Amino acid sequence: MRNISILLKVELLEAVRNIKFIWLTLFFTLLGVTQPLIDKYMEVIIKSFGGVEGIMIDPNAPEPQANEVLLATFSGQFNQIGLIVLIISFMGMIANEKNSGVQGFIFTRPVSSLEYISSKLFGNWLISMVCIAIGSFISYFYTVYLFGYYPIVDFFLFLVCYSVWILFVVSTAVLFSTLIKSSMFIGVATILLSIIFLLAGNINSTLSLFLPSGVLTLAESLLLQTHDINFLFMIAPIVYILINVYGAKAFINQV
Amino acid sequence: MIAIHKVNKSFRGRQILKDITFDISEGECIGLLGPNGAGKTTLIKCITGIIHYEDGEITFHGKDILNFKNDIGYLSQNTDFKQWMTCEESLRFFGSLSGLSKAYLDEHITDVLTDVGLKDKNKYKVEELSGGMKQRLGIAQAILHRPKLLILDEPVSALDPIGRSEIKNLIQKLKTYTTILISTHILDDASEFCDRYIIIKNGEIVGNITNQDETINKKQVYFQVNAEETAVSPVKLNESYVLQEIKPGQFSVTSKEPIVFANLMKELDKHHIQIHSLAYEKKDVEKIFLELVSEV
Repeated sequence: MRNISILLKVELLEAVRNIKFIWLTLFFTLLGVTQPLIDKYMEVIIKSFGGVEGIMIDPNAPEPQANEVLLATFSGQFNQIGLIVLIISFMGMIANEKNSGVQGFIFTRPVSSLEYISSKLFGNWLISMVCIAIGSFISYFYTVYLFGYYPIVDFFLFLVCYSVWILFVVSTAVLFSTLIKSSMFIGVATILLSIIFLLAGNINSTLSLFLPSGVLTLAESLLLQTHDINFLFMIAPIVYILINVYGAKAFINQV
Repeated sequence: MIAIHKVNKSFRGRQILKDITFDISEGECIGLLGPNGAGKTTLIKCITGIIHYEDGEITFHGKDILNFKNDIGYLSQNTDFKQWMTCEESLRFFGSLSGLSKAYLDEHITDVLTDVGLKDKNKYKVEELSGGMKQRLGIAQAILHRPKLLILDEPVSALDPIGRSEIKNLIQKLKTYTTILISTHILDDASEFCDRYIIIKNGEIVGNITNQDETINKKQVYFQVNAEETAVSPVKLNESYVLQEIKPGQFSVTSKEPIVFANLMKELDKHHIQIHSLAYEKKDVEKIFLELVSEV
C-alpha cells in the first residue's frame, strides 16, 4: 500500500507539473458548456453563420429539459471528442516509462507489478475524473441556469456511474501498454476498442449487460430518472476492469 | 553470493537465454561480455526481477533473489528519469520505493550526489542534465540504498570520452566496497575493472575466464619469413616457446612466460629460420572474446 501511495503521489504531481490538470479541465469545461449553448441558441448561431435559409427549425419543438441537455453533453461531447483527447492524454503512461528505463528502476525496487499497475490505473483515473468532474459541474450549473432545475444528487450519481466507464477505458490503455511499445498505437487501439463497445452497447440493452459500456445505460437511466434502473449493468465493467488489470499483470514482466 | 542456475528465457518462440549458469562471489567485479543482441540485457533484467524467466533459478545467499531487491542496485542501458523531477526529487522517489526513511534520505542524498559529482546540480531538473550527468544520477539512484550487488548495464557505451572517463573513475571507486556485475561490449573498459569475464553469445555462455587465467596472459610474437625461405614446419622451439604457422610465410611464437627476444632469436637461429619482420602481442580479453564470439 505504501508503494501505491508513493507511485500515486508522483503520478498526481506529474499532472500538476505538466499542467495536465489545467488544460484537461479547461478542455472538458469548454466541451461541457458547448452543448447547452448549442441547444439554447441554435437559431441565433445559425443566423449569425449565414441565416436559416434552407434549414427548417421546428418553431413548436419543445425546449429540452436540463437532464436531456446533460445527457447530450456526455453522449455527444464527452464520449466522442472528449474520450479521444482523454485517451491521448494518458496513452503514454506506461510506454514512456518503459522506453526511458524508469520502469526498470521501479521494478528493481520491492514494488510488485500489481502495485505498479494499480498506481497507473487509479492515478490516471483520478486525474481524468477530477478534470471531467470540474468540467461536468460547470456544465451542470450552466445547464440548470439555462434550462431549469435538476437535482444535483442525481447528477452526482450519474457521474459516479460514468467514472466506472472511465476506469474501464484507463484499464484498457494499461493493458495495451503492456502489449504494445508505441504510445500512438496504444492510443489508437484504446480509442477503437472503446468506440466498438460504445456502438455495441447501443444495439440492445440485453447485450449491454455483458459489455463494459452497459454502465452508461445505467448512468443514462439515472440521469433521465426512468423507472427501469438495473444495477446489474455494473457487473460487466467491473469484470472487464479486473480482466484488464490481471492481463496487464501477466504481460508486464514478459520482456 | 549470487548463483544463477540453468536460467532459460524465451519470447515469442525465440530462445533468448539458454541454460545460463554461473556464480558471483562477494567482492568480485564481473564483466558480462557479448556482442549486441547476445542476451546480456535480458539476463540482467532477469537477475534484477524486471522480467520473468521460465526455467532455472537465481538465488542470493541461497534464497530467491526477488526477496533481496533492496540488496541490488541497478543502472540501465538507457538511463533516464522523469524529466520534470529534480535530481534530488528523483533520488527521493526511488529511495522511498526502496523503503528508505525520510530521515535517511535527508542525511544521505547530498552525500550520494557528492560521490557522483552532482552536488551542485541537486536542484536541476533531469531535462537540464547532459547524458553523462544522467548516467551519474543513474549510479546515484543505484547506490543510494547501499546495495551489496551493483548491476551496471552498458554504463559508458552512450557517453562521450569525458563522460566515459568520469563514470569509469566512479566505478573504480565503487569496486572497492561492493560487488559489481557490469555488462558491456567495450572490452577495453571491462579489462579496466573486471576480475572475471562471462562471455555470452546467442543467449549461451561461451566463456568464463579470470584475469589469472593462463589463456589471458599468454604472450605471442608474430614474425614473417621471406617467401623463398625454406619451409618452416610447426615445431616446439624449446620448453617454453611454441612455433605455429598462421598462413604461408607468417608464423607465431606463443609462450606462457614473458618472451625474451634475445633467447627467441637464438632459438630461431638454431632452427635456421631467418626473420623478415617481428611483432609482439599479448593475448588479452579482446582477443579471447573475438575468438569465442566470432562466427567460423
